[in-house]
Amino acid sequence: MERPNRCSLLEEYPAFDDIYCSLKALRRMPKAVIGESRKAVELARRFNREVVRPRALELDLRKQEDPDHLPWDLVEEADRWGLYTMFIPRIFGGGGFNFPALSCVLEELASGCTGIANLVGVHYLGVATLCSSWNIRLMNRVMRDTVNGHRGGRPCLISLAITEPDAGTDVEEVELVRKAKVSCHAEKVKGGYLVNGRKIFISNGHLSTWHMLIAYEDLKHPETTTVMLAVRNGMPGFSFGRQEHKMGQKACPASELIFEDCFVPDENVCFDVKQAASGVTPEEVEKTVMQVIDYVVSGSRAGVGAFGTGVARGAFEEALRFAAGTEVDGKLLVNHEWAQCLLAEMYKNVAVSRLTYVETNYANSLYGMFKALNYRPVFYLLKMLPRPVIDRALQPLLELPAVTRLFRRIYFDWQPSAFTRRTSGWASLCKFAATDAGVRNCQLALEMMGRAGLRHEGRAEKHLRDSKLLQIYEGTNQLNRLNLFKCLIARSVPQARVFEE
Amino acid sequence: MGSANRSELEMLRETAASFAANELLRDREETDRFPFAPFWRDKVEKGWRMGLFTLTLPEELGGGGQGVEALAVVLDALGQVDAGMGGIVLANALAQEICLQAGAGGIFAGSIEDESALETLTACPAFDDPRFLRPSLRADKRGGRWELRGRSEYVTLAGLAARMVLPALTGEPAGLSYFACPRGETVDVSEPVISLGLRACPSCDLEIKGAEALLLGEEGGGEAYFGAAYQRMLPAAAALSAGVLKGSLREALEYARQRRQGGREIVGWSEVRMILADMAVSAQEAELLVREACRAVDEGEPGWTLTARAASIRVLDLACEAAADGIQLLGGNGYMADYHQEKRFRDAVQVQSFLGMQDMKRQEYAGLLVRDGLPW
Repeated sequence: MERPNRCSLLEEYPAFDDIYCSLKALRRMPKAVIGESRKAVELARRFNREVVRPRALELDLRKQEDPDHLPWDLVEEADRWGLYTMFIPRIFGGGGFNFPALSCVLEELASGCTGIANLVGVHYLGVATLCSSWNIRLMNRVMRDTVNGHRGGRPCLISLAITEPDAGTDVEEVELVRKAKVSCHAEKVKGGYLVNGRKIFISNGHLSTWHMLIAYEDLKHPETTTVMLAVRNGMPGFSFGRQEHKMGQKACPASELIFEDCFVPDENVCFDVKQAASGVTPEEVEKTVMQVIDYVVSGSRAGVGAFGTGVARGAFEEALRFAAGTEVDGKLLVNHEWAQCLLAEMYKNVAVSRLTYVETNYANSLYGMFKALNYRPVFYLLKMLPRPVIDRALQPLLELPAVTRLFRRIYFDWQPSAFTRRTSGWASLCKFAATDAGVRNCQLALEMMGRAGLRHEGRAEKHLRDSKLLQIYEGTNQLNRLNLFKCLIARSVPQARVFEE
Repeated sequence: MGSANRSELEMLRETAASFAANELLRDREETDRFPFAPFWRDKVEKGWRMGLFTLTLPEELGGGGQGVEALAVVLDALGQVDAGMGGIVLANALAQEICLQAGAGGIFAGSIEDESALETLTACPAFDDPRFLRPSLRADKRGGRWELRGRSEYVTLAGLAARMVLPALTGEPAGLSYFACPRGETVDVSEPVISLGLRACPSCDLEIKGAEALLLGEEGGGEAYFGAAYQRMLPAAAALSAGVLKGSLREALEYARQRRQGGREIVGWSEVRMILADMAVSAQEAELLVREACRAVDEGEPGWTLTARAASIRVLDLACEAAADGIQLLGGNGYMADYHQEKRFRDAVQVQSFLGMQDMKRQEYAGLLVRDGLPW
């Protein structure tokens, strides 16, 4: 019998590299990431204690009373704490904290209030979307706008405008968008695009200055005509519509954005068909569009997983507090064996959820969007270079088309599909595992707490309301299960077809 | 208590369903905004005039003399459209039931002829099980009269009703007793507590400073009275949940037929069909369980307490799962107030804690199983 070689055995399903991202990533990870992550978590905990917990319930009530209220004061406070710039790379003027630490921060904030965590996290969804175009010139311009806003005391947030009235989940997958009923049209005209249409459920829409708008040149063939445009407030033809009346996460508005003959100049085009990859065949364009989507969701779904972990933790902490202080049937609830088991189950849900976003971030650092920044020489160079050197010597280089071309070569043309499958698959796993756990912990907390959990000031009911949205945005958990199947399972079953039912 | 025959029950169901469709459907988003929107006094008055709040009171007290099954039929029909009104009916029925179990139904005599519904409603801590979570309210006898002092939390309908039925500790060692107390000057009623669900059926906290109260039944009899009322009202709560579940299913099915994704109707996606199937199976299960539980209660068949509890606990859980699935099926729209599914989700979880913590319901059920053995 022929002896299989070690490599082929490791490539058999489940492939070693697919399931042990952390083992490979740890060896390459810059050591400073640990200290930096500790600093980020410490900051988030302080922000939680001083801002989130004292204000979360009051803001939630305010929004119940006045659904159109916008929490500008909280955005300004978060900006003062540097939360909107700390994860922007130093080369673009930001704090340069490593991106995986963002998930840790989001978990901390969501343990206090998922709505406020979203107020911060969604800004980085906008950043991730912008970065997924690898248009270095625009990345520099938009992110420096945010940094300058921070310095001037004027928060400058970035949103992602993708969901449409008749297309939600569809727009997060090329196979679905092909048949979707999209309506946001970007017509190529001289010097730019003329946009018409509406976007809905845009988190932070009303609070953001920049909007990464996804539109389509041909509404019948959106999969090959996707464009990403950077729209700034004040552009003629762009306006805000209503705010949705959400069940939870009320701190973060879900906005309607309206585009009526909105002219977006060429210099604000992050990405369009002509820029896609090196080829121009529809297949290649489609592949690149999917790569863009995958870069975004591989990062953002880890963030949503962190929200899920945070809300699971928040619910657990409220249940623990209740159990420790409430006498039930003659003794403290925390001393009932069944309650101890239930609390252990909730703790487990938090810990396992956290592991999924940590592993997803290892995958992203090795194979995805973070790989260049986490490459040790780049990581330390960007940490050590004095700001004036970055601003004077490096910035002009970022304007060069050749730099954008280089990054696109690396991130589009040279990106193996196995890498994308790995990051996207893990991100989906993290997203639905952690958010399901988040909702579950909230339900368990309420079942344990009874009427104390139903009261607004008990916080548990707010956690439950907040948590449910996590199973819906960034692709429903059903879509994420299908994506996990597509990315990490279908390869082992050649006859399997996904999204072709 | 009597039990209605099938045709009477069907008539009740139709009446309640028609009331819900004509009176509750249109404004349910706004009424649910209470206390940030006006209280739906006119609708409650209409419900009162229809006899929804006296259904299970004996005929000799001017009530409908109906059994739990009739109450369940009404709550199911209301719950399908808007559980808020069902919450008021249920909490009021619980307060009445505690009094009846204490042999103190006489306090309702004549009251149903009052002009105003709110004057005749009875408040009680409907989301507590005082057998496990002891009240901090205390009653002491002074000069032959009972006086209540202390705090009573989350008393449902307390901001509206003229009368309250409250558990309090009496004697030494402390026993549990029930008292009827008017909402007078010695009772401070808080603003409505902002709650997860059933917002149009508000609860308030009470600070009582020496309010004169009427002992219901015997001193120390509270556990028995509550226990007996609990057994009868738990299936009624399950019926309200079953209504919420059915409403969720109807909404989800309608949405899945209309909405398209990936170029076809959502209902064409097999994963969506799995969710719909789960919801539909739950709805059928809830229907059968509630009916069986109510029949067991009304007919008092052997082992009925276990049957009713098991069925009710299950239905309360099923409704929460199905309401959550309903939101999932509607996607982002399901999370928004305009589609009402988020309200069903909140209401289902709220009803789950009716009569106390869901986990303690399970614990008590296991205790009964150990004590009495299996019911079959």
